[in-house]
Amino acid sequence: MQFLYFDAGLGAMIAQALVAIVAGVALFYKSITHKIKTIFGLHKNTADTEVFDSIDIDDSTIENASKDD
Amino acid sequence: MTNNTRHTSSYRDPSGHIYVENEIIKRIIFPSYFPQYEALKSANFFQKAFQHKLLIPHEEIENSKTHICIQPEQIPFITYPYEWSFQQYKEAALHTLKLQKYALQHNFSLKDATAYNIAFYKGSTIFIDTLSLDFYKENTPWRAYKQFITHFLGPLLIAKYHGVEFLKTMSNFIDGVPLKLIASLLPAKTKLNPFLYANIHLLAKYENKHQEADVVQTKQAKLSKKGLFNIIDSLYNFIKKLQLKEQSEWGNYYQKTNYSDTAFQQKSTIINDWIQQLQAKTVIDVGGNDGTFVRQITSKIDYALVGDIDNNAIDQNHYIVKKNKEQHLLPFVIDLLNPSAAIGFQNTERFSFLQRILEFQPEVTLALALIHHLSLTGNVPFENSAAFFASFSKNLIIEFPKRADSYATRLLNSKAEFKAQFGHYNVENFEKIYSEHFEMIAKKEIADSERILYLFKNKTT
Repeated sequence: MQFLYFDAGLGAMIAQALVAIVAGVALFYKSITHKIKTIFGLHKNTADTEVFDSIDIDDSTIENASKDD
Repeated sequence: MTNNTRHTSSYRDPSGHIYVENEIIKRIIFPSYFPQYEALKSANFFQKAFQHKLLIPHEEIENSKTHICIQPEQIPFITYPYEWSFQQYKEAALHTLKLQKYALQHNFSLKDATAYNIAFYKGSTIFIDTLSLDFYKENTPWRAYKQFITHFLGPLLIAKYHGVEFLKTMSNFIDGVPLKLIASLLPAKTKLNPFLYANIHLLAKYENKHQEADVVQTKQAKLSKKGLFNIIDSLYNFIKKLQLKEQSEWGNYYQKTNYSDTAFQQKSTIINDWIQQLQAKTVIDVGGNDGTFVRQITSKIDYALVGDIDNNAIDQNHYIVKKNKEQHLLPFVIDLLNPSAAIGFQNTERFSFLQRILEFQPEVTLALALIHHLSLTGNVPFENSAAFFASFSKNLIIEFPKRADSYATRLLNSKAEFKAQFGHYNVENFEKIYSEHFEMIAKKEIADSERILYLFKNKTT
């Protein structure tokens, strides 16, 4: 790692451990409610207005993309 | 070669910097960054990130012991965070997180996360600071986390709770909004939300507590990779769902107000004919609303900038750009009565709107349904607005609403007892004063309306 050319903030570095725990609980809760909604078929159809996709990137799409070019 | 032409906005990162050679943007990399660069290259990370449209593509043009030079794809026009609409700002934040997650999966990490690392290009966001990618070291927290909060999450939250105008003030916070300020501006109820409590209030508290601490201690902080993914995923989920209070629904935003269908059709036909006549390839519409009139142009345009003062119009325009996958249209928020100034060190880090537009040199400027706002709302004399347009426009297509136009009448009546002092707002004066800078090529009355369209050619260019 290079030396810092801006202040990362010690507080911000330490706080991330706690932020990560909160995030973990929230994501767990989200996945549980998602499963429950799936069981009862409560998902709203938002596909039409959805502009932003998922954070996850599928590397297998690269091969497909290059075939299109 | 390097120091003389070093780009004035690129001095913060010691790993290398941007320079301009024959009007082409290039990037020099110094030996201190060679290990990262070579690792990214050999892991094929660059290629993958280019293909996923995460990182601006580049080509290596020089590779020696003392330096490496790369040439990135050239972006025709850069807009800054304080010129982004709410949804654009959101997209920039999400893009940064997406790249960070992808980098982490390949054992790299972003060493900084400022909003200036994102540009809008070919209809989407793109990360432009190639040297921000660094090695990921096991069990270390994300050191750009605080920067992400102060550049992205904080401003978005304040815009949500206090109005989207806040985003314009980002020109005052070139290093992000201070955490303390973000925390104090958010309503007390945000402390009850675990996500907001952790990412804003707790963070501000920790920062405050440790502000005197030795930087070396930073190394003591530990966090698993799983924990890092949790933070990034939860930030992504939260920001993705953020909406403004006053946000209008996606839909047909453009309101034709005092336009009949015939007038609207005729107006767009005239504009289209003139643009074809000029064979213009680059256009700027300075009061372009949601881009309606630029989209009516049938000839092929290489690049069209569409500015408007209204955040919702730009959000709507950006939405259409994304839906239609339009690559040549760039919407941005701009207040012509107070366009973005030059900011940063020596006032040369981020350029003024005027300087950027001068460099862009649009072949045609559209100023539709705008002059009455400049003249009657902003009280800008015709002499000044003509000089403004003449400073960067080769050709100007401008619409003049006569005094009898319902909107112009309303603006004039709002002047109450000062209305008499706005007697100069009339067709004769307008033509006379604009003729000092421009040659009138064509003039057409729009049927079924009180408006006239002019095609002017700059006398000096």
